[in-house]
Amino acid sequence: MADFELGLVHTPVTPFTRAGRVDFDVYGKLIEFHLRNGADALALPMHAGESVSLTEAERHALIEFAIKQVRGRVPVLAHVSDAGTGIAAAYARHAEAAGAAAVVATTPYYWTPPPAMVLEHFARIGAAVTIPFLVHHAPEEMAGTRITAELALKLMERAGNFAGVVDSSLDWQFMVELVDRARRPRPAFQLLPGVEYMVSAGAIGAKGAFSSLAAIAPGPVRRLYDLCGNDRLFEARGVQEEVAALLQILKKAGTAGLKGALRAMGRDCGDVRPPLRAIGEEEFGRLSEVLAALPALRSEPRGW
Amino acid sequence: MAIRLRGVMQSPVTPLKDDFSPDLPTFERVLDFHVRSGSPAISWPHHKGESLNLTIAERKRFAEAAVKVVAGRVPVTIHVSALAVEDTMELARHAQAIGADGILAITPYFWNPSLEAIHDYFVRLCTAIDLPVISYNSPSYLAGVEITGELMSRLIERLPNFVGVKEASFNSEKFIELSRAALALRPTFAMLTGVEYLLPSVPLGGVGSYSAAGSICPNLCNSLFDACVAGDWPLARELQYKLSRIWLLFRDQYPSSLKGGMVIMGRPVGPTRAPLPTATPERQAHIRAQLEELGIMDSEPHGW
Repeated sequence: MADFELGLVHTPVTPFTRAGRVDFDVYGKLIEFHLRNGADALALPMHAGESVSLTEAERHALIEFAIKQVRGRVPVLAHVSDAGTGIAAAYARHAEAAGAAAVVATTPYYWTPPPAMVLEHFARIGAAVTIPFLVHHAPEEMAGTRITAELALKLMERAGNFAGVVDSSLDWQFMVELVDRARRPRPAFQLLPGVEYMVSAGAIGAKGAFSSLAAIAPGPVRRLYDLCGNDRLFEARGVQEEVAALLQILKKAGTAGLKGALRAMGRDCGDVRPPLRAIGEEEFGRLSEVLAALPALRSEPRGW
Repeated sequence: MAIRLRGVMQSPVTPLKDDFSPDLPTFERVLDFHVRSGSPAISWPHHKGESLNLTIAERKRFAEAAVKVVAGRVPVTIHVSALAVEDTMELARHAQAIGADGILAITPYFWNPSLEAIHDYFVRLCTAIDLPVISYNSPSYLAGVEITGELMSRLIERLPNFVGVKEASFNSEKFIELSRAALALRPTFAMLTGVEYLLPSVPLGGVGSYSAAGSICPNLCNSLFDACVAGDWPLARELQYKLSRIWLLFRDQYPSSLKGGMVIMGRPVGPTRAPLPTATPERQAHIRAQLEELGIMDSEPHGW
């Protein structure tokens, strides 16, 4: 596992038909788009892929489909988060059997278990598979349940395949402490920014990154990633600010905004599923205008 | 309205006698120590200086001493935040009257003010005096009350003496939101972090920080800033990791832990006022062991 380097991991959305079913035809096109536009790996279905709104059968089918579509060109990571530890562990086992390169899991949904049980949750998911296992730290999305560096160190003792943390907390205090303390017990341990704020994370020592924005702006995301990966951090500031501006625009509407932006870029992946609410036509019009005026998107691909 | 804000700027602790009364002679030694050990500016009293545990009269006396002892060797800014805004206004006018070089002010305490109220507060403060004003953003300590990018833009457009921010969210997204807004309108605006988190902030346009650990390890603080400005990221990482360990050591029971550490470094400054605890001999022994392990006793000045 020492050479387990993920690079820039794209996290595709999940396309739906008008009838609300997973649209595998479009999913195939979307995966090809990501592979042609700078993905070193794919992770799916992350929250950007509406994992929480998919049935078990759909999550299984999606991962199997993606692995078949990718045909080994890049690693495919499976997102296996769930509320129940046993359910999440079962997703992890399925992912390994289907050929996933690694699994990634958040803290449990809804529950706010004490730290010892958060540790137990992750340890059992890790023990369910032999492939590398990443923890996704997203306290704002997860009712405030936090991962601490302390917890990560304990998890290393329990799970030999615990390979890294995908961080969406953006918290400098946490990131610095984690990178500093993890490198002695596990030199290959990776911190990957889970949102495209890569300059600070890269400065701190992150390797790799997760990106859902790559569906909209693959060029700037790739440039940002490459500059940070080469420690050209001062040069990265300009593109980081462009990417941050785009993140701010899309943040308000969340995943619905991401899908609206995809449609505006000519890659319609349908609407979001309930309980998320699709953006209305008026809002879509405004979003399209804003995106059309953004210099950062001027040379970005339209259509598939 | 020029004030040079750059590097790791020290905010002295507030020395107290054993009966918890102000110890002005020792305060003078602390100020002199910071100036001699390379601090590019002095700012007093931050929360680390127990600002909220001092009476307004005491704060004025210490502020006068600070301006007098530093005597123009480096700029002196006075932190004027108080529970009552009327006291803040009084401290700001006093800072100007005694010849301070600027003031620092946090968003108002306790009341969860709206963005409009925060706007009005800074407008009132900045127009009441003829000194540069540095704002202070600390959402995690103030129940999420914070300066947004949009508010920052409005304040800069309106107020010529609104010159910087102590940005203490330690969060990539929030830092970039403010730096993007501020530096576009006022390129000389000083983006500063609260604790010495220079590694994640300097590549994004940060020009320095205030300091938690400068009374313990001024050499390490200054070396980290130099490494960041030089873009020597491998060295900067090692120094930031080390400084992070020191911060985590002192963050627990801050700032009484820091006063305990100063005893170890041969610069005793007395107890900490209630409701904060005073570092016990056991706590001091723990701090000594940690500082020895980090090599601080060998690389940093001992005594005054």
